[in-house]
Amino acid sequence: MTKILVLEGVTKHFPVNSFRKHGQFVHAMDDVSFALNNGEVLAIVGESGSGKTTTANVIARIYKQTSGKVIFEGKELSRFMPRVEELEYHKKVQMIFQDPFGALNPTRTVGRIMERPFVIHKIGRGRREVDEKIDEILVQVGLEPPIQFTEKFPHELSGGQRQRVNIARAFAVEPDLILADEPTSMLDVSNRMSIMNMMLFLKESHGVSFVYITHDLAGARYMSDRIIVMYAGMIMEIGPADRVINSSYHPYTKLLKSAAPSPESGLKRIPLTTGGDIPSLINPPSGCRFHPRCPFVREDCSKEIPTIKKVGDHHYARCIL
Amino acid sequence: MNNTILTCKNLVAGYRIRSGFVHAVDDVSFELSKGELLGIAGESGCGKSTLAFAIMRLLKDNAVIEKGSIIFKDRDLASLPEEEVKKIRWVDISMVFQSAMNALNPVLSIGDQLLDAINAHRDVSQKEAFDRAIEVLKLVDIPEDRFNSYPHQLSGGMKQRVMIAMALILQPDLIIMDEPTTALDVVVQRTIIEKIQELRKMFGFSVIFITHDLSLLVEISDLLAIMYAGRIVEYGPAEALFNSPLHPYTKGLMNSFPSLTGPITRMGGIEGKPPDLLKPPEGCRFQPRCPKAMKICEKEYPQLKELQPKHLAACFLYTGADKSD
Repeated sequence: MTKILVLEGVTKHFPVNSFRKHGQFVHAMDDVSFALNNGEVLAIVGESGSGKTTTANVIARIYKQTSGKVIFEGKELSRFMPRVEELEYHKKVQMIFQDPFGALNPTRTVGRIMERPFVIHKIGRGRREVDEKIDEILVQVGLEPPIQFTEKFPHELSGGQRQRVNIARAFAVEPDLILADEPTSMLDVSNRMSIMNMMLFLKESHGVSFVYITHDLAGARYMSDRIIVMYAGMIMEIGPADRVINSSYHPYTKLLKSAAPSPESGLKRIPLTTGGDIPSLINPPSGCRFHPRCPFVREDCSKEIPTIKKVGDHHYARCIL
Repeated sequence: MNNTILTCKNLVAGYRIRSGFVHAVDDVSFELSKGELLGIAGESGCGKSTLAFAIMRLLKDNAVIEKGSIIFKDRDLASLPEEEVKKIRWVDISMVFQSAMNALNPVLSIGDQLLDAINAHRDVSQKEAFDRAIEVLKLVDIPEDRFNSYPHQLSGGMKQRVMIAMALILQPDLIIMDEPTTALDVVVQRTIIEKIQELRKMFGFSVIFITHDLSLLVEISDLLAIMYAGRIVEYGPAEALFNSPLHPYTKGLMNSFPSLTGPITRMGGIEGKPPDLLKPPEGCRFQPRCPKAMKICEKEYPQLKELQPKHLAACFLYTGADKSD
């Protein structure tokens, strides 16, 4: 299997802009390495502040990494790319944002919004061809008939329809990789499944790879082939979706699992043994970042950061246990 | 002795706007016993928050309770004068609001806000009020030294716990929780839920828990009511609803949450969107989206009927046989 995207030891530190804390950094992403196979859906799960969105933004080159390598389709991305190359990259890597309300320009009709990617990336010749392409993709995302939607403004659409426009826009330029940042978290329950199913369908028919970011474990398992569990900027566990959920190795994954609402396990639930919040990322805890909350903590845990080790077929975890 | 503390009968409430009357809560009836947890689930705009505000008598100016009664301890909250409601509100019924971030006053310390709640309703000395405030903060695991903190100095989970402390402070018999955990992370959500369950065991108050997260509700509630477009479409013990949902809408909702550990199956969700409550469709309100709609569904509204012991549903699929010809 060819790898479309490889991250090698990617680290992102944000400088803190405050007088007292001058010269300190927020460790949003530390030593993140993973590979995404062609046509695969990789889910990244974690609490807020775990660095999952930063990861997507680094891949999308919204932020430049502090250190480490991002390799896309076999080529390492340099820190500074000529504009043509940058544009080419953005055509291949598209993003779906969390907030369907904020991601669409409220003063433009859906038709104008959908036109932009074609204009920017110079796809399609002439009005008619572009319009045809827009209609085609709108039908694919379930906005039928397209004529009813192209003249509408975002505020005239429901949340689900807006997210469909977002998805249509991302798929319009025939990308190779889609970064979806919590695309369903702001939608109504009855819409969620149809949006998820639609993304899976589009993924198959367009042959794209997916990085799917979510805090919903059950949704991640439904959507993805593999799952990455992140905590405080570091990867804690990575492996095939089913294995990560059903035979989780890292205590943090187990914590997430026992916290997720799920009626089937209702009474059999193991009570939470950990409280507390995600640690400060300005002064992250020494050693394993999860050790202050970990129920199985040992003396060694606070000494050094555990390395990622193999715990099963394609299944890795960062824990000394 | 009768154990029922709240009875809602044929409640109709809504908003008057320029273009007409929005039937946000339409003909809703339910009963709540002492110590029970009633879960109310539904999509946004189905009227679940309006119902909560109607019970609290906190509806906005343009909203009215049109018909029906809300009997709480032998008194009808729907028709009680405002002065009397003030004596009941927060003392006997309190509420945890959806966004803890906005429900707390940003320029007062949380301690002052707790003291405010006591002083507004009880005639106690400062010392007693202070002790009580510290006591409830401890109940929700917030250390004493946070008493003088301002809301912005607390995390989201802590703010929500302060809200719960505030709701508990006068030892009410009923607490209405309107999406108390929606804005929170899963782990924080879990700790809050466990706290609520623990406090419920300690003090035996009843809870109306409103959320759209059905998988969470099934787990925690005794009774479950599913609302759609202002009406309760299914009502019964949570376990029965989960194991054998009757109404197609409930089935659709259940189908919207992928299972965490079970086998992965392709799921459907529900197509379409809820109706405009200004002009609700004739007949069953779910009929335009219903996969099993029949002719009769377009004309008549099905009444809630007890189909299994204590398990009610409003659907012609089960009662229509005698009428459908």
